Amino acid sequence: MKIIASYNIKGGVGKTATAVNLAYLSAREGNRTLIWDLDPQGAATYYFRVKPKVKGGTRALVSGHHDLDDLVKGTDFEGLDLLPADFSYRNMDLVLEDNKRPTKQLQKLLAPMAIAYDYVFLDCPPSISLVSENVFRASHALLVPMIPTTLSARTLDQLQEFLEGHDGLGKVNLMPFFSMVDRRKHLHIHLMETLPESFPTFLQASIPYASDVERMGLNRMPLPAYVPPSNPITKAYEALWAEIKAGLAKPRG
Amino acid sequence: MNEFAQAYLVPDGTDLQGIKDAFEGRYSVTEDEPHELIRRFYDTFDWSLYQAGTVLEELSDGSQRELIWRDLHGEAPKLAWNTDRNPGFAADLPQIPEIDRLASLVGIRRLLPLLDVHTRLISWRLLNEDGKTVARLEVEQNRYVDKGRERQGPVSVLLRLHGVKGYDDELQATARLLQEGLNLSLARAELLQEALAAAGRRPLDYSSQLDFRLDPQRRADATAKEILLHLLNTIEVNIPGTRANQDSEFLHDLRVAVRRTRSALTQIKDVFAADLVEQYKESFGWMGEFTGPVRDLDVYLLDFNAYQASLPETLRPHLEPLRDFIHAHYGAEQKALVAHLDSKRFRDLLRDWRAFLEAPVPEQSVVPNAMRPVKAVADERIWTMYKRVRKEGRAITPDSPPEDMHELRKSCKKLRYLIEFFDSLYPKQEVRQLVKLMKVLLDNLGNFQDLAVQADHLRDMAQRMREESHASTDTLLTMGVLVGHLLEHQHRAREEFAQIFATFDSEGHQALFTALFGPSKPRRKGA
Repeated sequence: MKIIASYNIKGGVGKTATAVNLAYLSAREGNRTLIWDLDPQGAATYYFRVKPKVKGGTRALVSGHHDLDDLVKGTDFEGLDLLPADFSYRNMDLVLEDNKRPTKQLQKLLAPMAIAYDYVFLDCPPSISLVSENVFRASHALLVPMIPTTLSARTLDQLQEFLEGHDGLGKVNLMPFFSMVDRRKHLHIHLMETLPESFPTFLQASIPYASDVERMGLNRMPLPAYVPPSNPITKAYEALWAEIKAGLAKPRG
Repeated sequence: MNEFAQAYLVPDGTDLQGIKDAFEGRYSVTEDEPHELIRRFYDTFDWSLYQAGTVLEELSDGSQRELIWRDLHGEAPKLAWNTDRNPGFAADLPQIPEIDRLASLVGIRRLLPLLDVHTRLISWRLLNEDGKTVARLEVEQNRYVDKGRERQGPVSVLLRLHGVKGYDDELQATARLLQEGLNLSLARAELLQEALAAAGRRPLDYSSQLDFRLDPQRRADATAKEILLHLLNTIEVNIPGTRANQDSEFLHDLRVAVRRTRSALTQIKDVFAADLVEQYKESFGWMGEFTGPVRDLDVYLLDFNAYQASLPETLRPHLEPLRDFIHAHYGAEQKALVAHLDSKRFRDLLRDWRAFLEAPVPEQSVVPNAMRPVKAVADERIWTMYKRVRKEGRAITPDSPPEDMHELRKSCKKLRYLIEFFDSLYPKQEVRQLVKLMKVLLDNLGNFQDLAVQADHLRDMAQRMREESHASTDTLLTMGVLVGHLLEHQHRAREEFAQIFATFDSEGHQALFTALFGPSKPRRKGA
């Protein structure tokens, strides 16, 4: 089981679209796939038409009161399951803090899921918090969708600093990529040429800005499920997914 | 996504729209594009997969074919693989993990299509107020197609309810609605069983084992007819598979039924007119003869790999021309066999025999045993034959000629067949023990004789191969080594005989034979 997180300190950069569409592509290939919507706003949950509710809330979940598997909902897509968001996730930090090893709780909760799933996608809330630190420790790949702007570049620096400053996080498999790219904007083009130079693990694939992505909220389903296969945005997600898999397969130093 | 699947029977003539409407107000129902699929069920002729509680089905939807081996009433496959060819013999199965379990059930038989079920699949999704699928229903409109018998017809419509993970309440509510609201009952039978029933076929309708349930008081002649009629059915049902040479067991089972028929005719004595017995004994003897040559070749082919493996590695390749020789002559022998099966003599024989067996027994008969209760006749016949086996066996010494062993084997076979015909008249456990005992003795005697016959036959083949210049010196020498092995085994069987017969003739076994079949006399001390 490989755990892949979609994360950015900033909001509105395409995290949820990334997690939902990649999870869909993974399941479509025949991988048993789970997506965990960790964001209390519950956008991923909404896209799959599932109610944002977890029995017993965050506390029951983190305490191991339920098997994680009992809280999972089947989506309308073969091989793709969802662990829904719950509004109480907004207090997840506090609940985590109450535990003995507060930064390793998610890892512990996810471990038994290895029998049932090949890939787990974590759709993370923005900000740096105890939840994010749990995500960093649990993930085999940390996808960071970034809009090519100066401010985004700064958040990537902040993230890098955070990882290097914490024990055992220096080796996190950081995979930044450009999201919501508008090739008509000079700044976007410029940053896409320069920024990857200082981040060797920057992915080649990028996701263009597209109104089709915004329509996910209307259609309430992953994008490749409603646009034709030839659509360039689907192609972009497919290329991204292929590159992530290749990156996960590579031995890490 | 599928957590659970439950199948319901939809009665004939039910309006599907009515079922759909029943969900109104609770869920909206969307219908996916219907699609067609064909399931082809496979088993060996003697139902070895079904007998083991399993089903092998080939699922094809036009684009791909998948073979699925699963338990009866089980959803999850034990094994599944994509294929573009029909399953045949065990050796044709793909080399995937755990295939051995399937292969060992198949044994030396061929997997044959039982029948096809054509399915039109309509899928409904039940959506909640968010448009989320909370359960799925599949309506299967099924038709069986029995190509072998050129029949087809409808099989009951099934409604399968599939749950979605995490939506148990909705699943339960839907199940309740189907059962209580719509009065649908759960389908207890497998689709295969439903289809077989619709096609007028019964699973497990063939077995080479005898399984009579006889009435001890019934007239012996009527009972003999019952036994012989069963054997005739076995002969007839194996003819198509023998003609087409689907696998070697058709001919084998046919030959066993022929041998048993001769044995029943001659050993259930004095129940039919003597001239009739003589006539049919001769006719079934003829059947035994004309079916022999192909069987001999089958035995070589079945044992060939074992023969080869018994040789030193350097000699093994030299045996291949023998395999080629057997294959080269097989066609001609098979053709001759089919010609016999198609002959007027053969057809007339079976027709007349059936007419005799199906005719009621005469109200009065002068044939001595005809009207006696079968149990009395069975006791006498088995006891007499047992005494003969005992006498012949005890007379055999290390110096006895092979002919004596051969005679003993014939008597043993007669005794075994008699016990098997009549086993339902005796306590099950004891009879089973005796049959097992007979089997050990017969195996020993069979080895002694068959190995000698095979060695002789190999010599003959070597001769013919030389005449047809098929054989190099190496091949002939290798066959010589094989003949040596066979004779060695035969010799060993001869050496083991005394010990095996002594076990058969132990005091305990004597007492058992006497208790079951011996004449009932008032017991006196010291008698």
